[in-house]
Amino acid sequence: MAASPSSAATERRGIPGAQFVEDVQTYLTQSGLDVSSALAFLQERLQQYKFVEMKLLAQQRDLQAKIPDIEKCLEIVATLEAKKNAGEALIADFEVSEGIYSRARVEDNDSVCLWLGANVMLEYSCEEATDLLQKNLQNAKASLEVLLTDLQFLRDQVTITQVTIARVYNWDVHQRRIRSTASASTDP
Amino acid sequence: MQQGAGSEMVVTWEDQLNINRFSNLNNRFHDLEDEIKAAKERNENLEDASNELILTDEEVVRFQIGDVFAHVPREEVEDRIELMKEETAKNLEKLEEEKESVLAQMAELKKVLYAKFKDSINLEED
Repeated sequence: MAASPSSAATERRGIPGAQFVEDVQTYLTQSGLDVSSALAFLQERLQQYKFVEMKLLAQQRDLQAKIPDIEKCLEIVATLEAKKNAGEALIADFEVSEGIYSRARVEDNDSVCLWLGANVMLEYSCEEATDLLQKNLQNAKASLEVLLTDLQFLRDQVTITQVTIARVYNWDVHQRRIRSTASASTDP
Repeated sequence: MQQGAGSEMVVTWEDQLNINRFSNLNNRFHDLEDEIKAAKERNENLEDASNELILTDEEVVRFQIGDVFAHVPREEVEDRIELMKEETAKNLEKLEEEKESVLAQMAELKKVLYAKFKDSINLEED
């Protein structure tokens, strides 16, 4: 965690950092904004953050679906290799169409075909396939890590902005109250 | 988090960091609850599967690998399921531990934040 607000990250991968406000009065004087403009600016920032958050959450869902898929592929390739080494054929029931299954006998396979996306399927030896799948799995997990850190940063900025909005609003209410009691006490 | 009743509330950077940390912990807590629920369900399914295995008298069981059902001898399936059950139990234990830790940290932070802000802050689930 940052030791002082000025050492906090000012932005991360395109996401602007929220400026921490030490003192509301100073903030308003320095930015030259009145209360409603400041609140409007902060609200707009919040909307932008929410928009980016939605995008990141969608990416997270995609990655979280991709990872078990890759793991399933790795399991199948491992099973095929084990069967080959044992000299046995693999008999499996697979889905031909929804609700319809058929039996397959897979014998003596040295290679598997991997779907690479974009209507491309490539044949690999079991070893190469395992390597490629492992690499994809590592990449997916690493991307997920980075994404989660981005989300964390984003959520911190959202919290800072929400707290700032509350403080500016409270400061304004406080100022109005002071002004109204001051004018009430000067009334004859 | 709600605003106070217009009081002069001083928020330091340390307070902000505490609030941020509380928010992170709260999010992590909800994620953990979801993960624990999924892990418990998986545990139950594996239990049911191994119970079914004991009851069946078939020698070859269709065991799901990926999207296909491979014909696997019953003993091997039993071993595999035992392994999966162990893994899930360990995972569940780890998640429960993390949940306890998160709850403890949140309780600490609540004490600190309520002490400073009293009514000006709301840290409860609505």
